[in-house]
Amino acid sequence: MRKELEAKLIARLRDDVVCVEKTDARTIFVDVKRAGIREAAKIIHGAGARYLCSVGYDNIARDGTLGMIHTFALDDCNQFVCCRTTAPVGDPVIESITPDLPSAGWSEREVTDLLGLRFAGHPKPKKLVLADDWPDGIYPLRKDVPHDLVPKGAEDVAYELDEAPPGTKIVPVGPFHPSLHEPEHFAVYVDGETIKGCDYRGFMTHRGIEKLCQTQVSYNEVPFIAERICGICGSVHATAFSQAVESAAGLVIPRRAEFIRTLMLEIERIHSNLLWLGVAGHLIGFDTVFMQAWRVREQIMWLCERLTGNRKTYGMILVGGVRRDITPEIAEDIRNVVNKIEEELMVIHRAIEKDTSIHKRTKGVGTITREQALDWSLVGPVARARGIDIDARRDHPYAAYDEVKFEVPVLDSCDVWATLVIRVIETFEAIKIIRQCLDKMPGGEIFVEMKDKIPALRHAITVVEAPRGESVHYVITGEENRPERWRVRAPTFPNLQAVPLMLLDEQFADFPIVMGSIDPCFSCTDRVAVVDLQTGKSSSISKAELDAMSRKQQQRA
Amino acid sequence: MNPTPNLFVGIAQVVANLVLFLALAPLFDGIVRRVMARVQSRKGPPLAQSFYDVLKLLGKENIDSTGILPFRLAPLVAFASMLCVIAILPVAGHATALTPYADTISLVYLLTLGGVAVLLGAFASKNIYALIGASREMTTMIMVEPILFMILLLGVLKTGSLDLTAVIYGTPSAEFGWPGIVMIVVSLFALQAFVARQPFDMAEAEQELLGGPFIEYSGPNYALFKYYMMLKQMFYAYLPIAMFVPLLKSGYFVLDLLLQVVLTALVFLLIGLLSATHPRYRIDQAIRYFATLFVIALAAIGAAVIF
Repeated sequence: MRKELEAKLIARLRDDVVCVEKTDARTIFVDVKRAGIREAAKIIHGAGARYLCSVGYDNIARDGTLGMIHTFALDDCNQFVCCRTTAPVGDPVIESITPDLPSAGWSEREVTDLLGLRFAGHPKPKKLVLADDWPDGIYPLRKDVPHDLVPKGAEDVAYELDEAPPGTKIVPVGPFHPSLHEPEHFAVYVDGETIKGCDYRGFMTHRGIEKLCQTQVSYNEVPFIAERICGICGSVHATAFSQAVESAAGLVIPRRAEFIRTLMLEIERIHSNLLWLGVAGHLIGFDTVFMQAWRVREQIMWLCERLTGNRKTYGMILVGGVRRDITPEIAEDIRNVVNKIEEELMVIHRAIEKDTSIHKRTKGVGTITREQALDWSLVGPVARARGIDIDARRDHPYAAYDEVKFEVPVLDSCDVWATLVIRVIETFEAIKIIRQCLDKMPGGEIFVEMKDKIPALRHAITVVEAPRGESVHYVITGEENRPERWRVRAPTFPNLQAVPLMLLDEQFADFPIVMGSIDPCFSCTDRVAVVDLQTGKSSSISKAELDAMSRKQQQRA
Repeated sequence: MNPTPNLFVGIAQVVANLVLFLALAPLFDGIVRRVMARVQSRKGPPLAQSFYDVLKLLGKENIDSTGILPFRLAPLVAFASMLCVIAILPVAGHATALTPYADTISLVYLLTLGGVAVLLGAFASKNIYALIGASREMTTMIMVEPILFMILLLGVLKTGSLDLTAVIYGTPSAEFGWPGIVMIVVSLFALQAFVARQPFDMAEAEQELLGGPFIEYSGPNYALFKYYMMLKQMFYAYLPIAMFVPLLKSGYFVLDLLLQVVLTALVFLLIGLLSATHPRYRIDQAIRYFATLFVIALAAIGAAVIF
């Protein structure tokens, strides 16, 4: 693949190609001069690669440039293509690839906000990540900006919404609205009840996790912070980061640890999909589905508490392995719980499957075509519901996924109903994977220490299939035992960009469920933590009381 | 039917009606909440929870978000119109002092007035969610009120009178014939729409419209609206019982009343079950559903006229 790609690139770009190299079995790095970046992205995309995300980085101290990397995945041959270019900091402009690849729009806007690299020809060069009153000229991800800088806010600034189509009214959804579970703002343009467009202003809770991990902590602490990116798919982020660092350091972790990671990821998937099913029921006004799905979900949280000491945010993943072993007793416990969940979910599944009123609210709703879904690089169940057969667990196997057998459900009805069915099937598949993991898990160590210093400025990319789609982590190793640059692309990042398209010409009443169908995780996208209501409560009671309560709950469970 | 001879008894009857409805409506609402909770594997609130809710709201501050009169008047008008409906209603076949001064048409008028007051409050609150909710409420009213009218019209046709006691209680059930049976089915299928519950709660639609017409209301004003909704719900649950379940004619008024109250409670059980097992429909889907009911009801009326 590398040779073909190199030939194609050189044929078209000639001198603009600096080098094409393959650093490990699955990563190809293409370095081009900045004049050729758009063409290079086009060629790579044309060669069948799927756009993932773009990463910007500060290299000013070394050679006075800002770097930009567009990453792609070749799903049928398990390879990644990273197309790198640089621009001098005095003239930080490169050509935008958004006109060719619409889902690059947010990545580029993010880089503009955080690093001050501008993109010529970007169709919507508005602020994305930074607050509206963030002063001009301060780019938080640049190395010379301290992590705790609190600049004086600019005055009299407000986000300007896109112009509403004529004859429409604006319905503000958010920052606080029952169908959004985190603060985000949608301006929905409606004509009567029909949605004619919408503008999104999110990133209201951007917390600067990437900056924090690039400046304050060491490799070993990042997985725990990564886990707090999201309250639902925490292990996904911790695993993805750890894998990126292990890949950069050339560290091979014990097989048993890989199986335990797989196990945790699938437990997390069951939890997440049940949570989603409940929320979806709630969003179409069907609270019985909500209550029943969450009743079933509760058992997995109790299980995780016995397993890891925590209902969620397990803290199991370390760079180099996992934190706790799975004893035979715990394995038996897991088996029992997943059996029970399988049984109870089957009951819910049968009830939903034939419920014509649920069909009414979900079939033919939120439709976009397969081509549109490809254009917007959708991922996860949202893509699989549009007939796109991708799943990082199968296409880019990591942890122990190469040794377990599972189906990847793909449907082509392109609507909300298909995403629902896919998530339910995937929950059953997750149960299958858990059983296989428990059966096949080899003995041995669960952790291997990193002995050598990780060499600086190595680039590594990994993907991990979260319940809501694939998460991409890109790490550039640094000199001070911490990443020089760490970029997280959560699955909601591409999926959310396509929501306006899904909403177009739908009824306003369908807004919550269409929005919900991507299983939006705004916190992942913003990179902030969700406060778990269960633990949030503890602030008003003393630690001793909390301990006593926890112990009591342990006994009950 | 004859006007009530004894004025004193008649007035006592008005008060008794009001007390009955005001006391039972929140309890019946409590039944719905409990039934829904049980279907959802929850314990559910105490039966009197809806009472507590109203009491709590009454003790809170009224926030007048617009400062215009219609906004403040709307809850009063809605509540008052519902009280009037109850005052003229010949519960368990006994006309009150006010029944002779009203007829079927004024009953429908008063019920519609309540609905119009809700719309008035919604439009006056100038909130986009309230406006969308109000437009949904209006559509529902336009489609559903005629169905109510046709149910009553069947009684009018059978007795040849507009008098309420005659219309509601005048026809022995056998004489309704099969149009009567069709109408019972229609009134059961329209029940959830009459009481604005799932699948037909799209006007309030918490997840989309955050309460729709009532979004700007708080405190006592909102309490009045809540009470109004509960009273309305009880009226609509009671109506098919009154129309289609014959009185015992045992001579004991209390026995009739008790039976009807128990049956109404059963209707609320049904409301709870239906609410717990349906998602909310979209307004376009609801309109199609109402249109079908409308045509069926019209056919039943046509049949009652011809045969």
